[in-house]
Amino acid sequence: MASHGLTYEGCNFLRQRLVLSALSGKRVKIKNIRSKDDEPGLRDFEANFIRLLDKLTNGSTIEINQTGTVLVYQPGLLYGGTVEHDCNPQRSIGYYLEALLMLGPFMKSPLKATLRGVTNDLTDPTVDLLKSTALPVMKKFGIDGEGFDIKVRTSWYSVFVEMQSNPGMDKVAMHVILYLNLSLVLHPQVVKRGMAPGGGGEVVFTCPVRKTVRPVQLTDPGKIKRIRGVAYSVRVSPQMGNRIVESARGILNQFLPDIYIYTDHMKGANSGKSPGFGLTLVAETLNGYFLSAEMLSTPQGQGDPILPEDLGRNCAKLLLEEIYRGGCVDSSNQSLALLLMTLGQQDVSKVLLGPLSPYTIEFLRHIRDFFQIMFKIEVQKPLEDERKGGDKVLMTCVGVGYSNISKTLK
Amino acid sequence: MPFKKQKQHQQKHSGPKAEKKKLKKQNGSTEEDERKRNPKAFAVQSAVRMAKTFHRAQDIKTKKHHVPVVDRTPLEPPPIVIVVVGPPKVGKSTLIRCLIKNFTRQKLTDICGPVTIVSGKKRRLTFMECNNDINSMIDLAKVADLVLMLIDASFGFEMETFEFLNICQVHGFPRIMGVLTHLDAFKNNKTLRKTKKNLKHRFWTEVYQGAKLFYLSGMVYGEYQNQEVKNLGRFISVMKFRPLVWQTSHPYILADRIEDLTDPERLRTDPKCDRTVSLYGYLRGTHLKNKGQVHIPGVGDFQMSDVNFLPDPCPLPGTQKKRALNEKERLLYAPMAGVGGVVYDKDAVYIDLPANHVKQLQEVRPTTELVQSLIETHVTLDAKMAASKVSLFSGSAGLDPTDIMQEGLREIHVWDAHTQTQRRKVVFTGLEEEEDDVSGSSSDEDDDGSDQENQEEEDDLSTFLKEVRDKSEKATKGSTPPVKKRKLEEMQGEEEVIAEAPAFADSEDELERGEADSEGEGEAERAGDSGHCSKESEEDSDDEEDGDEDDESMEEEIGADDSDEEEEQGKYHSGLFTFSLCSILWTFKWKEGLQQKASAAFLRHQEAAPNLRKLVYGSVVEAEDSEEEEEELGGLFRVNRPQKSKKVQADALDCSHFNPDISHNWELEEMLNSIRDCFVTGQWEEGQDAATLLKEDEELYGDFEDLETGKVHKGTTGEQDQAEVRDSEYSVKMDDEEVQKNKRLEKKRRLKERFDTEYDDGDATYFDDLKEEMQKQAELNRAEFEDMDDESRVQYEGFRPGMYVRLEISSLPCEFVTNFDPHYPVIIGGLGTSEGNVGYLQMRLKKHRWYERILKTRDPLILSLGWRRFQTIPLYHIEDHNGRHRLLKYTPQHMHCGASIWGPITPQGTGFLAVQSVSGVKANFRIAATGVVLDLDKSVTIVKKLKLIGYPYKIFQNTCFIKGMFNTVLEVAKFEGASIRTVSGVRGQIKKALSTPPGAFRATFEDRLLMSDIVFLRSWYPVSIPQLYNPVTSLLLPVGQKDSWSGMRTVGQLKHDLGVRNKPSIDSLYKPITRAPRHFNPLHIPKELQKALPFKSKPKLLQPKGKVPRDLKRASVIREPHERKVAELLRALSTVHHYKKKVAQRAHHAKHKEFLQQKEKDEEAKMKRMKDARKKLYRIMGQKDQKKQRSSLKGTPQDD
Repeated sequence: MASHGLTYEGCNFLRQRLVLSALSGKRVKIKNIRSKDDEPGLRDFEANFIRLLDKLTNGSTIEINQTGTVLVYQPGLLYGGTVEHDCNPQRSIGYYLEALLMLGPFMKSPLKATLRGVTNDLTDPTVDLLKSTALPVMKKFGIDGEGFDIKVRTSWYSVFVEMQSNPGMDKVAMHVILYLNLSLVLHPQVVKRGMAPGGGGEVVFTCPVRKTVRPVQLTDPGKIKRIRGVAYSVRVSPQMGNRIVESARGILNQFLPDIYIYTDHMKGANSGKSPGFGLTLVAETLNGYFLSAEMLSTPQGQGDPILPEDLGRNCAKLLLEEIYRGGCVDSSNQSLALLLMTLGQQDVSKVLLGPLSPYTIEFLRHIRDFFQIMFKIEVQKPLEDERKGGDKVLMTCVGVGYSNISKTLK
Repeated sequence: MPFKKQKQHQQKHSGPKAEKKKLKKQNGSTEEDERKRNPKAFAVQSAVRMAKTFHRAQDIKTKKHHVPVVDRTPLEPPPIVIVVVGPPKVGKSTLIRCLIKNFTRQKLTDICGPVTIVSGKKRRLTFMECNNDINSMIDLAKVADLVLMLIDASFGFEMETFEFLNICQVHGFPRIMGVLTHLDAFKNNKTLRKTKKNLKHRFWTEVYQGAKLFYLSGMVYGEYQNQEVKNLGRFISVMKFRPLVWQTSHPYILADRIEDLTDPERLRTDPKCDRTVSLYGYLRGTHLKNKGQVHIPGVGDFQMSDVNFLPDPCPLPGTQKKRALNEKERLLYAPMAGVGGVVYDKDAVYIDLPANHVKQLQEVRPTTELVQSLIETHVTLDAKMAASKVSLFSGSAGLDPTDIMQEGLREIHVWDAHTQTQRRKVVFTGLEEEEDDVSGSSSDEDDDGSDQENQEEEDDLSTFLKEVRDKSEKATKGSTPPVKKRKLEEMQGEEEVIAEAPAFADSEDELERGEADSEGEGEAERAGDSGHCSKESEEDSDDEEDGDEDDESMEEEIGADDSDEEEEQGKYHSGLFTFSLCSILWTFKWKEGLQQKASAAFLRHQEAAPNLRKLVYGSVVEAEDSEEEEEELGGLFRVNRPQKSKKVQADALDCSHFNPDISHNWELEEMLNSIRDCFVTGQWEEGQDAATLLKEDEELYGDFEDLETGKVHKGTTGEQDQAEVRDSEYSVKMDDEEVQKNKRLEKKRRLKERFDTEYDDGDATYFDDLKEEMQKQAELNRAEFEDMDDESRVQYEGFRPGMYVRLEISSLPCEFVTNFDPHYPVIIGGLGTSEGNVGYLQMRLKKHRWYERILKTRDPLILSLGWRRFQTIPLYHIEDHNGRHRLLKYTPQHMHCGASIWGPITPQGTGFLAVQSVSGVKANFRIAATGVVLDLDKSVTIVKKLKLIGYPYKIFQNTCFIKGMFNTVLEVAKFEGASIRTVSGVRGQIKKALSTPPGAFRATFEDRLLMSDIVFLRSWYPVSIPQLYNPVTSLLLPVGQKDSWSGMRTVGQLKHDLGVRNKPSIDSLYKPITRAPRHFNPLHIPKELQKALPFKSKPKLLQPKGKVPRDLKRASVIREPHERKVAELLRALSTVHHYKKKVAQRAHHAKHKEFLQQKEKDEEAKMKRMKDARKKLYRIMGQKDQKKQRSSLKGTPQDD
């Protein structure tokens, strides 16, 4: 009874393949990993990712050949529990966290992963972005409850400052918020932010376990009611944050008055090893969907430095671009939503997306390989006089009826 | 005392009381009245009690709920599987025969294999007889919807019945209906009734209280009575079924037809080669995905090489408004049974049906032409299938069907005589491979074959036409001229495309599954859909790469070419059978006007949005189109991978960010305007706009009447609105009418919604909400793919239950075919994700209470879990209080225990049962244990107790040196600090290892040890689970021996079979106990002590008595004879005297007794007399007193 594995070539989409392999229980073989490269084989961050996967699972076998160009992964049982991991600073924590988000709900015991490394960098979605967009997406699928969170340290003080600077906020509400904050401050989760290339940040991801995922119909995104954001800066002047906020608001205020961008300046031990600043913007719709964009300063010593004003403006434009694309799930979480649809009950799930990203398209192909699920893809063109951005894609599928086989029955 | 009848109560029929009662009866006093009249009686006596009763009521209410599940039954459900079980000679076949006769009016003499019939307008039934083999019983219990459990009433319950019931209980409980037969064996009516009652009650305890039990009383000419069978049939046809967990979460097929497709040449050279087999049957359970893994119980795990669906051989009648089925709709399909369907031979298949039936079929429905065509010709099934295909086309195309049919059949005859390979090459992938072999090219030639294909592609159309001509010539002549090799190759190319890519030129959502993207596609391992890589797509992509862009006309031609191919594909796939020659004839007819059609289609393609589906799941021509268009569309479809830089792509950065290259210029006002409406500040839709909503509210609630003042307020805005509308109506009357209508409808809907929320949903419980949600989901599931054709639908949701499908499995063991026995069910059970793997399973197990023996750890056991039956080696364990899993040697007698096995991964919560052996029939109950899967943990935590023993060799005060427990210093180091104990209970601790002797250590104890003490260390040793997974391959055994599968034997069996007996250790043998007699030394008390003791405790030192001296002894007297006589006489006299005395004494005694009695009597009489006298005296005295008193009251008497 040999389980029939799948074979791929090249290191691209390595995470997808390994994650799907772990979920489906199918063996996967990846050949020719950078075989033509000067430095053949797996990079450090990939090896690090595999190590993380090994920590999460029980009974999986990983074989890598001498040169590191061939990887054979026989998945084991997703175990979960408390995991601590030092992520490779070549990629940010987002790289690892994206995979954990996919695996988290299907573990044996609730996951509590402490990841250390670069929290924010240019290539991957930052932790702030994932926190504000990926978690709501998962909540739509019924993955919710106590201890479903990604924690990066947020400075409540800066929230306070922001509120004070905004005279529109009434006093009572402010006090309420302050009270809540204080109660939160009593149990501080000392987690640190670390910018590329040095890193030194820390993120705690906790995720409950689910036996099944429920089907969803996310077809009506609704209108955007508010925009929130975090402008963070570490090891640079605290003024940077304010400058970013200023410029970003300049663009977004044309559309909406309800915009708060928190400034988050980290000092001392919480500020990681490298200087940098950045902005994450999140637009929330009436139906509770989130679209996001982010922008970061170039890492120290790599490329031209960027002005905070430019960064703010560009980030705001990116958000507008994201809004133009539209959909119920933003572009970086498309694959997560599609995965959860696939793993749902044997019912029809629908989700409205913006244009599919290359990553998502490859993910769809992988889903077909691993789960034999094909999505019905329909393009929804905007109406004649509608001013709601570009084409949308309605994805429909019937779930595989996946049930969490790791969870213990008592 | 005789029973005295009580006086009866006299009911009043008149008078005021009667009147009152009558009145009461008429009005019918309600509880409400009672409450009003007597409020105290209904007052709350105890709040606690009230709460309790309320809770109880609620509990009972909620207990009745089932967990709501989404109703996933398809619109046209598969036939209901009715399994007829019972011990041999109970009348199973007879019952099936009778039921079939009842439903279809046909007689089926030999029942083997599943028999499918149409029983009603909405219902089909599949009957399957279950023989007495436990393998069949287990398999059929898993697929049964309804079980007819036959019980021989004249004999009573047999073990098989109970075994089957227990199997059912484990694998989800299907509906069970008992049928009592052989009731005519009872001559006495009373015993009959008694037996019925007894059996019924026993049956009820097993199934549920009130389970239906049928009585088939007597046989008439070897059949059950018509009326009884009819009633049973009615029961069956109205029965409802609750979905079972395992069945609804897995696809499965009860195969009713099997065909061996292996190349005859291969068979000739190697008769034992693995077979390619196609299995047919109705798909049940849930959606089946192509290329998935399946398990065939009794054979093993396999990967499906191909699945396709066929027209239903036994379709439900159309929706006509009439009550009963007419004769021709009462279909019967039982290919394995040989009647009414297809008969099996070694390599040919025949049909046997009454002629009139066939005629009717032919007239009525085209789908059964398949059957009909099969009947008319006695050729192989493949050929017949092809023929039937043609007839299917004929209906739609308007060709003369009979014409084509005749031709087709003739051709097939001819064709069949020739190469078989050619016949099947088009559709079945297995055969494609064969052909590949023939032409000398392997299946993964895609990489190198592209150049060649380029050439081919240029004269694509012309070659194809040539081929067609060739073929048609061949057909008309009825002979096969040898085809040139090159042409053959080309043809293959063509046909492969045809086979693999079902597509519809017209539909935008084309189903071309060509995959140009993946570099890994050549690999056979890559899973995916059947046609991952169509050659067509390859060609096209090559075309693109070469960059030789043709001019418009050329492109059009290609388009035409493509589309005509696609249309062909459509045809072939809708038939899904072989590519027969008659269809070639076809091509000529529909090729007319093809050019126009194709060009139109092509233009449509150009206009329509690029097909994203193709982009994602396989790029064809449109991929390029999309790329061209993407500039306009703002990067929506930028995703196609560049073909040339595959390698670069393969090692590209793995990142989920989506940063389009050309972002929009967000400085421009128009760009900003394009997303204005995405914000709440933008314009809202018609229905959601705040202004409109407000207006509507006004309309709804605007006008009201003030009851106090009687004023009537009118909704003014509404009026105005209407007025406005009226005004506008004049101008644009016609257009507005629609809009108005819609508006009204919308308004109505909203009103109703509001009403519903106010009145209906007020008391909606959580359960109701959940149910409603499920209902909605079910509707959505049904509606989503409803208007799609089956071809594309199958792509998205898989093959849906109710379809008649054909599976092809390429590597079945040859025994499956050679030893095939239709009496045994062939079940193809689909496996979910990761259920194909093997791993460790932790389960909860309980020995069955009817199984006589307990089970031993490490004895191989046969488990039925999921679809599978397999032998494995379980380890039994129990959880201690501290969570430790302690190994048990045997299962507990009446308790649950844990069991860990190495076996197939099965979802938690799945039930299983265990048997010791599946071979033969045993008198005892065979199900050894039942249980449920709890966990699939890969790390095993079972431990067994290990006691290490050591001996002290040096004892200090409380410290002690101990040896013999360990062998090295290292071992000791590992156990430093461990607690140890002696047999006598002195506790201690290991302190430190000693250098010599190796393994000795210093330990401290709570008390001083003795040299004779034994020290032991209690520890736990992890146990590993033996990795035995041995599927029961009972179906592969020769016919007649299928119930004799035997796997690994237990140690006990082995010893028994081989006659091996363990030599017991001499020490363990029992010997007669010999005990030496104990010797006690006398107690010695010192003289001093003796002196001090009181006399009582002093040892009495008595001198032994001396001999009596002779002179003190009395001499014995010896009498003289005379003296002896005298003495004798005296003794006799004295005896007589004694006797006399005794008698006299007795007489005296009696006399004295009499005397005493007499005396007592006298005494009594005297007492009485005295009493009377005293009484008299007292009376007189009293009278005197009274007199005296009276006189004193009167005064002094005169005479005094």
